[in-house]
Amino acid sequence: MATDAMLGAWTAAGLTLCMYTFLYKDNPFFKFGEHLYVGVSIGYTIVRIYYDVMLKTLVNPIAEQGRWDLLLPACMGVLVLARFVPRVAWVSRIAFALIVGFGSGAVMPRIISSFILQQVEGTFRPFLRLTPAGGWTWLQANAVVVLVGVVATLFYFFFSIEHRGAVYGAARVGIYFLMISFGAAFGYTVMARMSLLIGRFGDLVRFGGPEFHYASLVMLVLVVLGLGAWERLRRTPSNEQ
Amino acid sequence: MAWAQRLLRIDRRVIFLLVAVLTLTFVLRPVGLAIRVSPEVRSIYDYIEKLPAGSVFLLSMDFDPASKPELAPMAVALLRHAFARKLRVMVMTLWVTGTGLAEEIVTSAAREAGKRSGVDYVFLGYTPGTVNVIINMGQDLAKTFPKDYYGKPIDSLPMMRGIKSLRDVQYMISLGAGSPGVEAWYVYGKEKYAFELGGGVTAVSAAGLYPLLQTGQINGLMGGLRGGAEYETLLGRRGVATAGMDAQSATHALIIALILVGNLGYLASRRRGQG
Repeated sequence: MATDAMLGAWTAAGLTLCMYTFLYKDNPFFKFGEHLYVGVSIGYTIVRIYYDVMLKTLVNPIAEQGRWDLLLPACMGVLVLARFVPRVAWVSRIAFALIVGFGSGAVMPRIISSFILQQVEGTFRPFLRLTPAGGWTWLQANAVVVLVGVVATLFYFFFSIEHRGAVYGAARVGIYFLMISFGAAFGYTVMARMSLLIGRFGDLVRFGGPEFHYASLVMLVLVVLGLGAWERLRRTPSNEQ
Repeated sequence: MAWAQRLLRIDRRVIFLLVAVLTLTFVLRPVGLAIRVSPEVRSIYDYIEKLPAGSVFLLSMDFDPASKPELAPMAVALLRHAFARKLRVMVMTLWVTGTGLAEEIVTSAAREAGKRSGVDYVFLGYTPGTVNVIINMGQDLAKTFPKDYYGKPIDSLPMMRGIKSLRDVQYMISLGAGSPGVEAWYVYGKEKYAFELGGGVTAVSAAGLYPLLQTGQINGLMGGLRGGAEYETLLGRRGVATAGMDAQSATHALIIALILVGNLGYLASRRRGQG
């Protein structure tokens, strides 16, 4: 077993257990893991941005290919940092104007096309696909449910008129569709959280084997002993005062 | 009705312990519950199965290590399938924090299949710009990624012969843990450059992507660990996702039981209050 793999297994097992100690209560082991995670994430991102952005797309093309035109977008990027100097903060607006202008122009037509026009078309398209005999299939039955759900939910979010009579009825149906949708989303969320738990437990079981010198078991004992010591320290009379 | 009050006051740590014990039991001793393959996962498998050898398959691993348990099994299964079908595989990521993980997954799958970097597959890595990367790739791939992850010029790689832009891609799958992910690839990629698109997402995002599937904007969808397990079933190779499904099912049964118990306790205590 390579040293880096062994070190990685012991670190991963220890930190996983540190994070799970929060289920007992907030404690120094959890705080250590949390702070380390934040620091490592930021550090990793900075290193990757240095290599993948600064070197790969700016420094190397200028040095190797003489792409001096790249200095223009680089300067625009530097302008954003002017926000930190109050006297020249206004300069950053030039860069932000470019970002907002380009962003809106690129995003708006595509979003409208993809999430409004295509969705509306998709809602009605099944009704145009009648079978040769003119009968209905499950596809159309499904489409009816979708159409009722879309219209009823839109009624629920239509606040310009009072929800009374037929409008009230449609809005109520809309609420049921929304609740079913929230239920499905909640079910998927539970599944996602359990998947993450299973992933960590899978690793802990793997790292608890003889090839990793029982890393998970040793770290579990250490963390439990550490938690016990911390509780004992907290309850000493001097600390209680 | 003291029992009802007691049900509502179960210490949350008891629930955590129950979930942990159940999960650990089934991770250690899986029972091999049957996995039914859904049509949305099968359509991805069938599409790759029908692609002729040499077709260009682009896999974008738009996730970071936080979503590894859910999305890495999908990536491994898709790469195994693509390599077995002798497709030309391009791999990339739109998430800077996912670069190392994506590289580890693709090199390990390629080593297992005996594929060579630059010849059978290419790992493009990460380039900044989020959705602009997709737009640029649609115009000129070599300008967006002048070099692969290992610093070799894209134009010099045999694998990239004839691949100029996204228009030369036959099938693309985004494994997304958020934004940018599947939706970005649809909005800025598929709609403009007309390649077929499939998606794999964390379970949290899956419900929100069904409208895209329903309207045919994406041709298939894998959601969470279950999506990966279904794909492994289709491949006939048990992997990490399949191994985790027993624990997944068991914990779901526990959660359903706890929801029922909680509601029962709530209704009983409310009736008592009215009495």
